[in-house]
Amino acid sequence: MIDTAIVVGIIRILFVCIIITAAYIISTRNLLSVVSVYALQSLTLVGIALALWSLEGSLVLLAIAVVTFVSKVIIIPYFIATIQEKIRIKRDIEFHYLNPTTSLLISMALMLVIYMALVHILEGTPARESLFFFGAVLGISLMLMGMMVTFSRKRAITKVLGFLSMENGVLLFGMFVTELPFIIEFLIIIDLIILVILTTILSVGIDSTLEDYHKRLHRFHLLEEEEEVS
Amino acid sequence: MILIAFMLVSVLSLIIIAATRNHRQMNTVCISQALLFATLAVYIALFQQVPVVSFLVGSQYFFIDHLGLFEVLIATIIFACAAVYARGYVEGLLESGELEKGSLKLFYVAWVLLLMVIVLAFLSDNLALFWIFAELTTIISAMLIAILSARENIDAAIKYIFVASVSMLFAFVGFIFLFEISRVYLGTGTLNWTVLMQHAAGFSPGMMIASFTLVFIGFAAKSGIFPFHTWLPEAHAKAPSAVSAILSGVLLNVGIYGIIRVYAIVHQTTAVATIAPMIAVFGILTIGIAALSMLPQKNLKKLVAFSSVENMGIMLVGLAISTPVALFWVLFHIMAHSLTKASLFFSAGILHRQFRSRFSSDAADEIRDVFRLQPLAAWGILLGGLAIIGMPPFPIFFSEFFIMLQLGAVSLEVLAVVLVLLFIAAAALGYFVLTSFTQVTEPGTPSDIIPYQTPVSMKVPIVILLALLVVIGITLPAGGMAFLNQIVMELKF
Repeated sequence: MIDTAIVVGIIRILFVCIIITAAYIISTRNLLSVVSVYALQSLTLVGIALALWSLEGSLVLLAIAVVTFVSKVIIIPYFIATIQEKIRIKRDIEFHYLNPTTSLLISMALMLVIYMALVHILEGTPARESLFFFGAVLGISLMLMGMMVTFSRKRAITKVLGFLSMENGVLLFGMFVTELPFIIEFLIIIDLIILVILTTILSVGIDSTLEDYHKRLHRFHLLEEEEEVS
Repeated sequence: MILIAFMLVSVLSLIIIAATRNHRQMNTVCISQALLFATLAVYIALFQQVPVVSFLVGSQYFFIDHLGLFEVLIATIIFACAAVYARGYVEGLLESGELEKGSLKLFYVAWVLLLMVIVLAFLSDNLALFWIFAELTTIISAMLIAILSARENIDAAIKYIFVASVSMLFAFVGFIFLFEISRVYLGTGTLNWTVLMQHAAGFSPGMMIASFTLVFIGFAAKSGIFPFHTWLPEAHAKAPSAVSAILSGVLLNVGIYGIIRVYAIVHQTTAVATIAPMIAVFGILTIGIAALSMLPQKNLKKLVAFSSVENMGIMLVGLAISTPVALFWVLFHIMAHSLTKASLFFSAGILHRQFRSRFSSDAADEIRDVFRLQPLAAWGILLGGLAIIGMPPFPIFFSEFFIMLQLGAVSLEVLAVVLVLLFIAAAALGYFVLTSFTQVTEPGTPSDIIPYQTPVSMKVPIVILLALLVVIGITLPAGGMAFLNQIVMELKF
C-alpha cells in the first residue's frame, strides 16, 4: 500500500491543478484550448477519485473514476471539438458583463466567502477534517466559477463548457462531503451527456456560419430585421 | 406493476410513432397515451390503497402517494387536452412551413417522452431520482421549444436550459447536504423521502437551512420564481401554443412540487422559522415583478406567461403561511391554475395564429375584429381571464380567497401589499382585453385580414377545460376535497 501521507500530498497537488484549470477556463479567449483544459480538469478529478480510493478503498470511487474518465475525458471533449470544427469558431472574445481580470478577482473573493460559510455549515459533521473540508470548499468554488463562465460568455458553446466545469465542481463536492450511491452519479453523467448533445446541436444553429442555416432563417423572415439594422 | 404499465404504454406509443409517417396517427397515439395514463391514475386513486409502495419489488426508489397521484392526474388531463389541440395546431404549422416535416416525428417522440418523464418524476420516492427526472423534463421540453428551429426559438430554449440546469445543480448540492444530514443522524445516508419524513424532526436545523436554500434555488428556477424567472416569458411565448400550455400547466408544477416535498421535511424542524419568511419574501417579490411586467405587455402569450409567474408567487406565499388550511388551498390553487392557464394558452394560441406579427413571436399582437374573426378564442380569453384573476364561480376565486384569509391572520400589512399587487395584475389583463378586443374595423371598409380557419380540434379543449373549471368551481366535489385533505395529512402539516 502507498503511504497515506503521500496520497494526501498528491491530492493537495491535484487541488492546485484544479484551481489552475478553472482560472484558465475563466480567463482564456481561445476556444480550442478551453476544451482540452476541460478534459485536463476532468482527468485531474479522475486522479483525485483514484487517490481517494486508495485511501478509503470504497469501490464507488473507483467506479466514479472509470465513468468520469470515459465520459468527461474522452466522449464529451471529443464531441465538442468535432462540433467546434464544424462551426469554425476559434475564439470567443465576447464577454457579457465581466472581463477575465474581474472574473478572476471575483472568484478569489468567492473562495474566501465559501470557506467561511462552510466552516459554519459543516460544523459537527465528519467532513470537518482538513483535507475533506478543502475538497468541499474547492468543489463549490469550482461550481461558482463555472457559473460565472456560463453567464459571462456569449457563445452557447462556451456556456456549455462553463456548465460542464460546474458539474465537475458538484462531483468534487460530492466526493469529499459524503458518499453518494453510485447509481446517482451515473444518472447525472447520462443527464449531462444528453444536455451537452442537445445544447451543442442547438448552438450549431446559433453560432454557425453555415450557409444553409441562414437560408432557413430567411425563409421565416427572421433575418430581414437584423439585416435592416446592420 | 403499475409503474411497469406506465412504462409499457409509453414504449408502445414510441414504437407506433416510430413506425408511422402519418401526422394524424402520431397525434392519436399521443392522445391515447395521455388518456391511458389518466385512466391508470384514476384506477389507482379509486381501487388501490394509496400510498402504494409495493409495485416495484422491494424498491425504495418509487412510490405513489396522494400528492404524486394528484399531480399525475393534473398532468395527464392537460396532456390529453394539449394533444387534441396539437392535432389541428401542428397541422397548421406544417402547412405554413414553420415546422419541417422531418421534425414531426421528433416532436411527437419528445412529447411522449416528456409525459413519461414527468409521471416518473411525480412517482419518485428518492429525491435524487426526482432531481434527475426533473432535469430530463427541462431538456425534453427545451427540445419542444426549439423544434420550430427559428433563431429566436433556439435562443429561448438555450436560455431556458442554462438558467434551469445551472440552478438545478445548486439543488443537487442541496440534496448532497440533505444526504449528509441524514447520514449524521441515521448512520447511513438516504435521500428516500418517506424515510426522511419519518426522521425529519431530529435533523440539525443549521444544515437544513443551507440545504433547503440550495434546493430552493434549483426548483425556483424550474417554476419561474423571481429572480430566476427570466427564461419563462420568452420560452412560454415562443413555444408552439400546445407546448406553452404544457410548460405552464404541468412543468411549473414540477418545480413547485419539489419545493413542497422538501418544505414538508423542513416544516418538521425548527429551521422553518427562518425559511418560511424567506420564501414568503420571494413569493411576494415574484407576484410584484410579474404584476408590474404585465402592465405594459402588448403580446398576449407573454402576458399569459407573466400571469403564470404571478400565480407561482401566490403558491409560494400560501406555502410560507404553512398552516394546514393554507397548504390545502395551495394544492387546490395548483390544480385550478394549471387547468385555467392551459385553456388560456389554447385561446391565445388561436389568436396568435390569426394576429401574430410576421417578424417575431414576441412583438405586439395586432389584434382587430376579434369577435368577428375568432369568437370562440375571444370568449376563451375573456372567461379564462376572469378565471385567472379569481372571479367567482371559477375555482381560483376560492383558493385565492382562502389563502388571503390565512395571510390576513398572519399579517395584515403583507396582505394589503399582496392584494394591491394582485389587483395590478388583474388590471393589466383587463387593460389588454379592453384595448385590443375593442379594435373594430368600420363596416364597409375593406379588410385585408384573412380569417384563420380554426380546426375543431383546437376549439374542443378550450370548451372542455372551461366547462371543467365551472363544474369544479360550482360543486367543489367532496371526494376531491377529501383527497386534498389526505395530501395535507401525508405531508404532516
